[in-house]
Amino acid sequence: MIAVTNIPYPSWLNTGDNTWQLVSATFVGLMSLPGLAVLYGGVVQKKWVVNTVLMAFTGFSTVLIVWVLWGYNMGFGNPIGGGGGTGIVHFFRDMIGMPHPITSHFAEQNQAVSGANTLIPFHFPTATLAYFQFVFAAITPLLFLGSVIGRIKFKAWLILVPLWSTFIYSVDAFLLWGGGYFAGQGAVDYSGGYVIHLSAGVSGFVAAWVLGPRLKRDREHGVPNNLLMAAVGAGILWLGWNGFNGGDPFYAGIDAASAVLNTNVATAAALLTWLLMDMWFSSQKKPTFLGAVNGMICGLVAITPSAGWVNGYGAVIVGVAASGVVWVAWNYLSKVRPFSKVDDALGVVYTHGIAGLLGGLMVGLLADPGMIQYGVTGKSYNGPGSFSIDGLFYGGGFHQLWEQFRAAIWVIAFSAIGTYILLQLVKLICRGLRENDETLMVGDLAIHDEEAYPRETFAERIGGMGSYDLERESS
Amino acid sequence: MKLVTAIIKPFKLDDVKDSLKKLGIQGLTVTEAQGFGRQGGHTEVYRGAEYTVDLVPKIRIDVVVDDSIAAEVVETIVESGRTGKIGDGKVWSVSVDEMVRIRTGERGIEAV
Repeated sequence: MIAVTNIPYPSWLNTGDNTWQLVSATFVGLMSLPGLAVLYGGVVQKKWVVNTVLMAFTGFSTVLIVWVLWGYNMGFGNPIGGGGGTGIVHFFRDMIGMPHPITSHFAEQNQAVSGANTLIPFHFPTATLAYFQFVFAAITPLLFLGSVIGRIKFKAWLILVPLWSTFIYSVDAFLLWGGGYFAGQGAVDYSGGYVIHLSAGVSGFVAAWVLGPRLKRDREHGVPNNLLMAAVGAGILWLGWNGFNGGDPFYAGIDAASAVLNTNVATAAALLTWLLMDMWFSSQKKPTFLGAVNGMICGLVAITPSAGWVNGYGAVIVGVAASGVVWVAWNYLSKVRPFSKVDDALGVVYTHGIAGLLGGLMVGLLADPGMIQYGVTGKSYNGPGSFSIDGLFYGGGFHQLWEQFRAAIWVIAFSAIGTYILLQLVKLICRGLRENDETLMVGDLAIHDEEAYPRETFAERIGGMGSYDLERESS
Repeated sequence: MKLVTAIIKPFKLDDVKDSLKKLGIQGLTVTEAQGFGRQGGHTEVYRGAEYTVDLVPKIRIDVVVDDSIAAEVVETIVESGRTGKIGDGKVWSVSVDEMVRIRTGERGIEAV
């Protein structure tokens, strides 16, 4: 017999790239579970912890099922209209990819390709790319969960998330990342400042408006139940963002490193900016932890559209500018209509919506053509030239800013109108979107028969699972 | 017998407890309490939203003692619990009719 050595690496596979992509994806997944779950779960009132956390876990689950069955290919597959054409016809014909599952052995294990003509071939399988793209799809509805907590019906959430992921997220992802119209026109979004954060901020705001405010009592007494949990969640978000932005070059190379460093620089600058503004300009003139977390999130969100295209100076400017502007919006714009009339419970429209918009526009100003995303040479490289973006401040003119602006208008309008329509549909299916007021007064116990901090002394077992032991001892 | 109850500042608990031990007190009950007096409340800020908190955290001490040392116990608590600043709390005592040690059934001053 002749010994055969099987090498489990196809020629297109690069183990370093595949590893980094899977690690990045896992980091981004951790941002949702437990990151956002415990950040939001810690910031809400004690009576809403279980509801908030369970909505995060179920949202993550429903998006994944949608994703492997049709969502992934709607966002990143071949254009549904077959591509080609121009103008408005092309736009609407090719708004999404052709929906079909990625669950077969071939679909999971072949080399990843994207509907967009990517500059470099992917050096890992579709399963890797699909999971990486999934964790972004999953965190988006979880972000706008922060707008609707404390009154949305649990059932309505279970239905809204898969619908929203299918009809809103997939479309924006395709148009900006999957090779759709805005991508073709030159609008860019490094890791989702528009597709994820602007969209989540706007959708959350619209949903909060349609749902109506939380109970008056909850708004008046809505203090957080556990700031230490909020700190754990916020810390996981920050470091998880290394995967969020570090994974988006799709190879474990130089630009991934720059994106990670820039992300952290912008975030540190933004955290300190909010802190100092709290100390100098807030009515209390005190540094607050949750204020610092807001600033941190502004920095993370704002650097997301540009992480690997700006240099380190750009990253500092992005962080300071986004945090400063959102601080002013948080403290003053919130007193002006329509912001004063909508109960966006955790302020998602500010720290994600406005910060995402600012970050996206700043690409058009601060992108440095010297920051090269793809610059591979040699025989493994089969695309044209290297890829970078030149912003206004680096001699690129107004073109990039204009494309960023147009894409932002689309994402705002489409997310707002689409979310409104989907909510009307869910309202019909669930006979209303809100839990009734009696349920809202009680919170977790009324909806789930669970509470975050049950007291053993007051609880006596009366039946249910494992009741054999109880019966035996009492007989 | 007298029941002496004191409401004190939480960080004064160790001082008060130690001085009562020195006096020979064999047991007391401590409860975390909330209350308001002339001290008033404070303000908290979460994500820019201001909340006033009227009730201030205090420690409540309950101790039952023989009539003969009740006055001394009150005096000891006042001295060891004092900071001289507003919000130091109160001490009062009331008569106790009956006292039983649950384990042994002893009654009256024997049960203290």
